[in-house]
Amino acid sequence: MSTTSVRAGTRTPQKQIGPRWLSNVLAKYIMAFTGIVFGVFVLVHMFGNLKVYLGPEHFNDYALWLRTLLEPLLPYEGFLWLFRLFLLACLAGHVYCAWVISARAKARRGKFARKGLHGFSSFTARTMPVTGIVLLLFIIFHLLDLTAGIGVATENFQHGSEAGSFAYQNLIASFSRPAVAIFYLLAMVILFLHLAHGLYATVNDFGITLGQKARSTVMLLSGLFALVVMLGNITIPIAVLTGLVS
Amino acid sequence: MRLTIEVWRQENPDVPGFFEEHAIEGAQEEMSLLELIDYLNDHLVSEGREPIAYDSDCREGICGTCGITVNDQPHGPVPNTPSCRQHLRSFKDGQKLRLEPLRSAAFPVIRDLVVDRSAMDRVIQAGGFVAVDAGTAADADSMQIGHGRAEKALDFAACIGCGACIAACPNGAANLFAGSVLNHLSTLPQGKPERSKRARSIIQEIDESFGPCSVYGECAVTCPAGIPLSAIAAVNRERARAALRRGKDD
Repeated sequence: MSTTSVRAGTRTPQKQIGPRWLSNVLAKYIMAFTGIVFGVFVLVHMFGNLKVYLGPEHFNDYALWLRTLLEPLLPYEGFLWLFRLFLLACLAGHVYCAWVISARAKARRGKFARKGLHGFSSFTARTMPVTGIVLLLFIIFHLLDLTAGIGVATENFQHGSEAGSFAYQNLIASFSRPAVAIFYLLAMVILFLHLAHGLYATVNDFGITLGQKARSTVMLLSGLFALVVMLGNITIPIAVLTGLVS
Repeated sequence: MRLTIEVWRQENPDVPGFFEEHAIEGAQEEMSLLELIDYLNDHLVSEGREPIAYDSDCREGICGTCGITVNDQPHGPVPNTPSCRQHLRSFKDGQKLRLEPLRSAAFPVIRDLVVDRSAMDRVIQAGGFVAVDAGTAADADSMQIGHGRAEKALDFAACIGCGACIAACPNGAANLFAGSVLNHLSTLPQGKPERSKRARSIIQEIDESFGPCSVYGECAVTCPAGIPLSAIAAVNRERARAALRRGKDD
């Protein structure tokens, strides 16, 4: 029998991933806080989207209102830009922490990835990085398509001004392209998966220790929240494609 | 029972391991997973070959020494049951069993199915104890603890330190293990004077060797001591609490 030194008790030096001050706990708190911001944002965004059923005038007025909000305290689009900067900062924090956490998770698990996971919760947890990347790509597409009006936007994209918004016309034109409508639909399913696990995880990340019953309730509520956002948004491209809204 | 065993063989930490296949005849349904390895080892020894090294001690599920991965499940297919209490009746005749060590980067393989779990010992050394001078043993009723509180503390004190939660975690996180220690000691008055200090040192230590928690919930499905999943949130809660009590031990 060979006599190799068993290095029991010695710490294997680990490669530092991300800055030292960004502990796993802090990274999870940042992800949870920014995640909640996005959760609330997509819910309110969906509520605004549903105004499409109230007709072009109402929808465009709402779009203009977002731009004139807090006027004259703030200039035209002042609040909107402040809010965009806030969302951008949240997105940067969320994506960076997600990268740090998944890189650390991969390194600390080692070369034998866990197989044979149980249930839907494990599926959504495992797919968080993938669904996250798809959502990030979708956000870029969505902003180019309906906010900036460049690249992937339709040819007849109209920029809004203080005189009025063309959000309704732009939306209809964009969703009249079946490929875009289907991409949007798929992105909403992905959003459901990401949100269902994300919201459930935030409760744990904020250090709220729940019993089994309360945890099941939180899981159910997160799923319902994600379902409402998904279903509310999905109706719109379907309504456009079927000619219900035009 | 006829079984095919694919078992991980690795001579020492410095060489790569591999799977070795064995056909087993005459195994009994009543055999535990560890007894199956004993049975196989008897054959190997009689053929003059090296037996499979594995950890075991009490064989009644209370010591936390054993732990192997069976068909990708730490401890085996039955939830919340240690390897020594899992039996061949969970498998079908003719089935293939893949036996591996508990997998995690924090658990280097020492030999075959034996892993080095001292990363967990370091977590306990960092704060899994009460160090206030308690004097001589006090009367049992001198410190009144309600029944509910005592039961809650005991639920978390049930951890046997086997490491299966870490092996079950796709992230290699130790939040169930560390959380059970933190919850147990913060629930009882004896643990309170060092509550924040303990949280800081234990959580710093788990960051050294283990991964971040993504709430997969796999740990609680695996845990042979039935530690509830609520333990994992204790890590974030206790760390945030300690951050708000900067410079204080309690």
